[in-house]
This record gives sequence, structure tokens and C-alpha cells, in this order.
Amino acid sequence: MQVPVKKQRRSPLFWAQLAFTLAVCAFLIVPVFMSMTAGVTLNYMTGVSGGLTTQWVEKVLTDYRGPIFLSLQLALACLVCTLLLGIPAAYVLAKRQNAFTRAIEELLVMPVAVPGIATALALIVTYGSSGGFRTSWIFILVGHVLFTLPFMVRSVLAVMSSIDLKTLEEGARSLGANFSQRFFGIVLPNCRSGIMAGSLMVVTLSLGEFNMTLLLHTPLTQTLPVGLADTYASLRLEVGSAYTLVFFVIIVPLLIALQWASNAISQRKRI
Amino acid sequence: MERRRLIQSTAAMTAAAVLPAPFSAFAQAARALCYNCPTEWADWGGMLKLVNQKLNISVPPDNKNSGQSMAALIAEKNNPVADITYLGGQFGPQAREAGVLSPYKPQRWNEIPDGFKDKDGFWFTIHSGTLGLFVNTAALRGKPVPRSWQDLTNPTYKGMIGYLNPASAAVGQVGVVAVNLALGGNYENFDPAIRFFKNLQANSPIVPTQTSYARVISGEIPILLDYDFNAYRGQHTDKAPVQFVIPSEGTVSLPYIMGLVNKGPNADNGRKVLDFVLSDEGQRHWANAYLRPVFASAMSAEARSRFLPDSEYKRTQAVDVFKLASAAKVIADRYQKEVG
Amino acid sequence: MRERIQLAALMTPVAILFVAFFLLPLAQLVAIGGSGKLGWSAYLAVFTETRYLKSFSATIALSVAVTIFTLLVSGIAGVFLERNRFRGRTLLTAMLTLPLAFPGVVIGFMVIMLAGRQGLVPDITDLLFGERLVFAYSMAGLFMGYIYFSIPRTILTVMAAAEKLDPRLEEAARSLGANSFMVVRDVILPALKPAFLAAGAICFATSMGAFGTAFTLATRINVVPMVIYTEFTLQANVAMAAALSFVLGGITWAALAFARSLSGSSVAASG
Repeated sequence: MQVPVKKQRRSPLFWAQLAFTLAVCAFLIVPVFMSMTAGVTLNYMTGVSGGLTTQWVEKVLTDYRGPIFLSLQLALACLVCTLLLGIPAAYVLAKRQNAFTRAIEELLVMPVAVPGIATALALIVTYGSSGGFRTSWIFILVGHVLFTLPFMVRSVLAVMSSIDLKTLEEGARSLGANFSQRFFGIVLPNCRSGIMAGSLMVVTLSLGEFNMTLLLHTPLTQTLPVGLADTYASLRLEVGSAYTLVFFVIIVPLLIALQWASNAISQRKRI
Repeated sequence: MERRRLIQSTAAMTAAAVLPAPFSAFAQAARALCYNCPTEWADWGGMLKLVNQKLNISVPPDNKNSGQSMAALIAEKNNPVADITYLGGQFGPQAREAGVLSPYKPQRWNEIPDGFKDKDGFWFTIHSGTLGLFVNTAALRGKPVPRSWQDLTNPTYKGMIGYLNPASAAVGQVGVVAVNLALGGNYENFDPAIRFFKNLQANSPIVPTQTSYARVISGEIPILLDYDFNAYRGQHTDKAPVQFVIPSEGTVSLPYIMGLVNKGPNADNGRKVLDFVLSDEGQRHWANAYLRPVFASAMSAEARSRFLPDSEYKRTQAVDVFKLASAAKVIADRYQKEVG
Repeated sequence: MRERIQLAALMTPVAILFVAFFLLPLAQLVAIGGSGKLGWSAYLAVFTETRYLKSFSATIALSVAVTIFTLLVSGIAGVFLERNRFRGRTLLTAMLTLPLAFPGVVIGFMVIMLAGRQGLVPDITDLLFGERLVFAYSMAGLFMGYIYFSIPRTILTVMAAAEKLDPRLEEAARSLGANSFMVVRDVILPALKPAFLAAGAICFATSMGAFGTAFTLATRINVVPMVIYTEFTLQANVAMAAALSFVLGGITWAALAFARSLSGSSVAASG
């Protein structure tokens, strides 16, 4: 609940903190703009004064359409999987706290601790010989799900722990609701903010995942970040930058939309 | 009702998620998979288009480097993903030893000189490139263009020199060999090279682990130890202010090889592609991409005109890939221990 | 009890996923780690060979430094953003979390754009001091890159925790005569401790396993993920790569467990 804040003169401390925060934002955003601009200049060395062009962006969209679509597909599939797997898991962890569930929490976090290369290596040595699976995009999906699942679980569990699940469910049960009615009608709606935040993390992390995908992909299942790394290395900087520009154009609306959605939901909760 | 909407939207998302990607154009035509056929290296992009046109086989590009390809081939030994592979020459003997290749002698096998192929047909050279100094003259900001290996130790080039890490990149190894042979060493004694790179550290070199063509073109690395074909591509195709310098003490050229992957899924198509890269048309394409085709006659006068004059190339000798294959670990170890 | 069966059923999909695609492959990898030329002493070689030791100490030192610095920055900026309402606040928050999606390779190139030979910072120092300050390829550049992807990861956690801070405690402290500094030290920081520990743990884990940034920035500092990659791809030395991966994973996981024990609750509950 918000304590009413009276309109006060901003203290010097406020301005100092604001300046600091703005500096941090500048540090994070300025290179992004530089990179995007480089993607539409004719020549990186001459910069904007040398002329603007869309040829690099066009080249990226023709040569790399496949990887771009595959990354989007992977992110969406990863989200669906983490929702289906993670929400029930978070529910179990919220309802029971014993040695067993603690072990499960430790397990979930392991793919974040173990370096992505190692997880990919492990998958390859185990399933490398299973032709069909190895060459399909599902192989990469598995890696992504392992890595992003703890973030979804963490996010949903945080919200579930903060609401009084027990009372809510007791109330519903006493009114005659069965398990699925309780789960879908009471638990899920109350976790919306956690689900949204988790979804944001999962989509973001999947779109940008590189460490594992570098080893897991095949020529037919190349993803956006892998293609991006390649263009930065072997093509002109302008093409790499154009590719980054395309990446941003895809991801920024996605992130903003998800953030607005989660803001809207958390605001609605504050009645 | 809340629940129904939730289930409906989940179902919709799941359906959307499992629809096959539009990136299946390659599934239609006959197919062969290549490891290490990157679009921009040696203009494999153009070659793969040619293969598609002339043979009706579609080969998607792959951006692994030699080391990554080897690692992938070994990991997938029991159920390979690739049909053919392209590797730096020194990886040929290693690939054979690892058991990931199967012998195939393409047409024109007998025309390939000894020393440029495995005697039992496990791999063969398709073209070579010469190592030297890939220089962005504009990024030198007025400093003179270096002309020899020793020039690089001149403090005036501080912060301007780059070379790929010999412990993690094939071209890095070739750089060590080039310097070594030029400064009087041999495949058993790498002291001159190690000494050189140790001295070079005083000039704060940049040591990337992957191809850095883009960084030379953008001026980020004004002097890079790299192949002539990359330099010529920058000069003639991308029209950048770059040039290639063959150091006065001498240098080496590395043969690049290809081989048929053992038990690959599309072995027949793989064999056809291997034949094609050695055909007249294929060899001409390499020449136009600024490489030296293994069949020298395929290089037209026009292609040759874009190279430095032959008098410059007199200072180069071909790498003995068999000796380099045995020395590779020594180079990596010594570099890591003594130069770091 | 019926509920226990329901909960177990909810957890089963996650369990299957983990056993099949994580535990089994990792077990396979452990075995491979001990099957190379050195046998099981490969794991010992990780601790005895100078090259690996140097790499581990550099990586740990870097990760610790990055974590401390990031927590400092995120703490100030995060608390500030959460407690003050002003125009453009949502935009600033969105900008600070945008880099979450970037693969390390892109961040590496942005560091080069800022501090490489042709970068912004050298241009500025050239104008001001007549000398180009290029630091992209040194520890400073690597550090900057790591900060770049760490700030977005931590700031959301800090903001979420700051939201839950009870303003009445601060008011009480102030009314008892505490100045701003004492309020921060004695009221705010202790309340934020769980969030800092959780965010710091994730930050440390991510830095330890980060690969793309180091892959791009050609530094002489060999972080462990780079060594693992090199062992795997140039030496085809899967055994050594596996051994190194496990030690790295073990150190990271221990750090996460330590942070969890300090905060007294699961990583999850701290959001």
C-alpha cells in the first residue's frame, strides 16, 4: 500500500542519485545506439557523415531469415515448456518445505551454476549418436529449458510464498472447489505478476542464449545469436551491427510489451 | 471463463511453438551437410550457390572453424551429422587418426601433388592461402606500412598488431610456423618463433580467438597476421584501404583440405560435392575468391592480376601439413607456457 | 494422502526432464572426465597445473569484483528508481533491463565500440588529452563488459525487494534522530540483505560461466570458460574440458549454496 507522498522539494541527494542512475543508463544504452547506427551507415569508419544505407539490413534479412525465425520459435517453445513445467513445480515447492523439496530446488539451480558449454558438452556426449534428435531444433530447446526453468520457478515461487496460499485454498475447498478448480481459479490468477516476470526472463534469456547453442546447433539449426557472432567475426562490422539492429527491433517491443503487461497486472492487484 | 481462456491460449501457443520453422527450404532439394563451410571465408557462399545450381544439391553454410569441426566430428562419430568437411591442412592427419573420415579419391586425384593429399585418399587439398600481414593503411594513421616480421617489434606499432591465438585457432598456429621458418627454425625447434612472440608482447598485441576480418576492415586492428585471400577480399571486393604484405624474411602457405565424413547421412551427395570443388569450374571459383587452387592452371590471368606479383610469392614455402600435425600440440603448449 | 500424490504428479515432468537431460548427461561427462590420457588425475591436474590455477584465480577474482561493484551500482540505482516517482521512470527501468537479452558477443563488440582503438572513449580522451586511451583488450575492458550484463540481472531483484521495504521503519528511525547515512546503514541495508545475497549469487554464477564476452574481447586473461572451449575445440581434449567444467560448476554451485545459507531462506523466496 502506498504511503501518501506529499509534493516536496527534491533534495540534493535526489538529484545526485538521479544523475547516478542516468549515468548508468547512459553506460548501458549509448553503445546500443552506436551499434544500431553503425548498422545503417555506409562505412563504419566514416560514420553517419559518410552516408546511410539499408543494404546491410537487407543482407541480414535475406541471409539470416532462418536463424531469426528459429530463435523466435525457440523462445516461444521455451516459454510454453517452462510454464507447463515450472508453475506446477513452484506450487509443490510452495506447499511443502522439507529436505526433498530443498533438494529439488538445488537441482533446479544447477544448470545455472554449471557453465553452459559443459551442459552442451554433456548433452552431446550422451545424445550425440541419436541422429534425429541430435539434428532437430528440440535438441537446442532442451538446453534452453534447462537453463531458464529456475528463473521461472524462482519468480512464481516468490509470489506464491508471499500470498497466503493455505488460507485461500482452504477457503475455496470449503466452498466445494476441487483441485483443478482451485489451481486454475485461485492459485494461478494470484500469481499472475510472478508468471509475467518469469515469462519475461525466460523469453529474454532464450533469445540471447549463446554458450550452449554454440555447441548444440547444426548448420540447419542456427540461431540468431550464433549467426550474430559469426557476422561480427567474418563479415564487415556494418553487417554485424545491422544484425544487432534487427535483433533489437525484434526484442525491444517484446520486452516493453511484457513489462507493460506485468506493470498492469501488479497495478490491478493494488486495489 | 478464466480457465477455458487459459487452456485455449496455452494450446494456441503450443501449436505455434511446434510448427516447423520456415527455414526448411534446404529440406526440399538433395542435401549434403558440410562442416566449416562459412559463407564469407574463401567465398564458400558463392561456391555453395554454384553447387546448388550445377549439381542441384543444397549445402547449408556452416560457420565452425577447423577446431570446432574436429571436435564436433569426434563427438558425433557414431552418428555423424555432416557429410563432408573442410579443414586447415594440419587437421587432415589428425582427422584421419581420429577415425572420422572415410577414404574417397575424387576425379583428378592423380593430378594432386604428393604432400598435398593423404596417400590412402582420406583427404586432399583443394586450395591454399599464404600467411602474411593484412594491413589497414588508413588505420595506421600515417605510420609506414611494416615490411618484415622484425618490423612488428618496432614500438611505433604499439597496440596496432593482432594475431590469432596459436593455442586456439588454426591460423594462429600457422602464424607461429611462418615466423619460425622465416627466422631460422624448423618443425622440431620452435625457439625462434617463441622468442619472437615473447618480444612482441611489449607492443601490446591483440590476440583474438576467432576470425577478425571485420576488425581489420573497421580499423580496429590495423595489422593482422592473416591470409592473403582475406586481404585481397577486403581490397578488391569490399574496397577497403587495405593491402597484403609478404614479410621480407619469408612466410608459408597453408593447404586447405577436404574429406568425406565417415558414415555421413548423404555420402553420395558428399562425394559429388567433393568432385565439384576439384573440377575446372570449382577451381576457377577458388581462384576468383583469391585463393591458390591446387590445380594452378585454373587461375586465369585476370585472377592472378589481383594477387601480389609472383616475385613476392617466391619467399613462401608450403607448410608440411604432416609435420605441423605432429607439432601442433607442442606449439600450443609452448605458447601457453612461455608467452601466455 | 491424496494431496501427496497430486503434488508428486505435478513434480514428475520436471523430474523426468532433469534426470534424462541433465543428471544422466552430467554423469556421462564425469565419466569422460576421468577417461582421458590422465585418467582420474585429470581432476587433480585442474588444481595443480599453473595454467589452470591462474585461469581459475583470474576468473574468481573477476567475478567477485564484478559482483561487488554491480551490487553497489544496482543498489543505489534500484532503490532510487523504486522509491521515487518522476516522469520517465518506466522508460529508465525498461532501458536498464534491456541488455538482459544480449548475447555476450554483442556486449563484447559494444565494449570495443566504447573502448577499442576506434572507440568513443579514446576519441574523447584524444580530444581532451591528446592521447587515445584504449582499454577494451585489458582486464578493464573485460570488467566493463561483465558489468554490462550484470547490472540488468541484479537491478530487478533489488527493485522488487525495495518495493517491500516498510517506510514506517525508516520514519521511526528518523524520528529517533538517525541521519540519512545511519538510516541506510541500519535500516535499509539489512532489509535488503536477502535480495543482495540472491542477486549477488546469480551475478557471481553468471560471471563465472560467461563465455561470449571473453570470446570476443581478445584479452590475455584466460577465463575458465575460454580454457574449456579451447581444450574442447583445439585439442579435442574432451576429458580435460569435462574436468574443468565440473570444477567450475562445483565452485559456482558452492557459492550459490553459501549465499542461500547466509540469507537463511531459499534463493527463490527472495525473488
